[in-house]
Amino acid sequence: MLITILKDTGVITGVSGILAILLVIAERWLNNYGDCKINVNNKRELTVKGGSSLLNSLSEEQVFLPSACGGRGSCGACKCKVLDGGGPVLPTEKPFLNQAELADNVRLSCQVKVKSDVSIEIPESIFNIRQFSSVITEIIDYTYDIKGITFQLEPGETIDFQAGQYVQLISEPYAKVKQGVTRAYSISSKPDDVNAIQLIIRLVPEGICSTWAHTQLKVGDKARFTGPYGDFYLRDTDADILFVAGGSGKAPIKSMLEHLAVVGTKRKMTYFFGARTPKDLYLTEEMESFEKLFDDFAYEPVLSHAAPEDNWQGKTGFVMPFFKDAIRDPKNTEAYLCGSPGMIDAVTKSLTDLGVPKEKIYFDSFG
Amino acid sequence: MKPTGKELKTMQRMQPGVQTLSGFLGDDTRPLNEIIQDDAIVLDRLGRTQQEVAKRMESLTQASWDSYLEGTLVDGKYLVQTEVYRGRMPCPFGHPGIYRKAVTTLTNQGNGITVVWTSLSMHMIGAHGFFEGRGSAYRLEPETLIKALFD
Repeated sequence: MLITILKDTGVITGVSGILAILLVIAERWLNNYGDCKINVNNKRELTVKGGSSLLNSLSEEQVFLPSACGGRGSCGACKCKVLDGGGPVLPTEKPFLNQAELADNVRLSCQVKVKSDVSIEIPESIFNIRQFSSVITEIIDYTYDIKGITFQLEPGETIDFQAGQYVQLISEPYAKVKQGVTRAYSISSKPDDVNAIQLIIRLVPEGICSTWAHTQLKVGDKARFTGPYGDFYLRDTDADILFVAGGSGKAPIKSMLEHLAVVGTKRKMTYFFGARTPKDLYLTEEMESFEKLFDDFAYEPVLSHAAPEDNWQGKTGFVMPFFKDAIRDPKNTEAYLCGSPGMIDAVTKSLTDLGVPKEKIYFDSFG
Repeated sequence: MKPTGKELKTMQRMQPGVQTLSGFLGDDTRPLNEIIQDDAIVLDRLGRTQQEVAKRMESLTQASWDSYLEGTLVDGKYLVQTEVYRGRMPCPFGHPGIYRKAVTTLTNQGNGITVVWTSLSMHMIGAHGFFEGRGSAYRLEPETLIKALFD
């Protein structure tokens, strides 16, 4: 009896072992897609090892599509057109694609596995996105929860961006954080400084990257980022400008103003910065210095919660009631807004009510 | 009950340093399904559903959203304020979609209870009945939350 049981057990174990080995061999064989070609815009051909996601394969070839979730299929930011190859659209992609996009072969690149040759189409501006290595050269405490950090590129490296665009900073492992994460931050320095960028980083409660930047980064440390990204940038026209920002939304506006200071401008510009209390104000002197530099520029900080003991002499409440006096010709006014979605919605409504064309209102609503 | 493979994967995403600095489980040693079940029992005892709770949180958050710089008083006693930060966060349960990094603070001026939640908290409560593990940064005790939201 015992011998029979042992014999049966041995047979089952043996068969299971053989099946497991066969499975491992089959998996290796089936998952070995060899080298695959990615044709990009009919201009470039990349040869990659098959089996990885399109997003990762492109990134390994230094083609960086934007992604806010690290390729988990949950943000929908890494869309691109897959004209050939790529297989059928997956259920994980469908919630992010509308009918027009589906008809136009738009896919989530993080969900598309490169198993054969693929032809894709991406915006030309993506080719300008690169990964940069840098050294921290300056850290400034702007407020109790906002720091300005300067990243000096490696010798010989330059970055080409438009004032208002952002980069994705890559944090390093620290404390309980075993893996780096990438987070988007607007560039606050001017594009004319091609060897370095400054980011204004607000500490996010429980934020992995902002906590790393605030508590771990020191002058002399190395840091990596990819970029530049985004379509929030200063338009080169003669229209009057209304800048409106809150919190760390000051970063892209600072970049735009510094750029205008270099190239020169005669445009009429007003900058409203909304904050709660005086302790939330920063870079005030720098912003006020532009009033002397430009022909027609006014910096207007507006506080919503100024206490009597603050002795605040400036504007109070919301920023919207002050727009009317700042706009001389609504049809010839561009607005650049950066802040929380609540602020963007309220300001956009106020501006369109005053006659500013919606297509001239550009914003970055904290992605 | 032994955690399933999917639960183990979810719990892995909830560990400190994966999506947030301290994770979603705090110092709770219970398996995920037990955390959810124990809170469901409390909700049931109090005669509320997870969807009802999430809907109330969403409606108060929306009220504060429009008043972006200051708190807003809802129904004369619910003082609610939302602070929005740059970026978005995926659901650790693997749902499609990402949620704004926004922190809402509610004070029920009737009973003095203050609770704090994120955009993701509302989704995790409504869709998964997950109020986070004990000791996590945004753990919401169902009983306290219900007192703050409905009293």
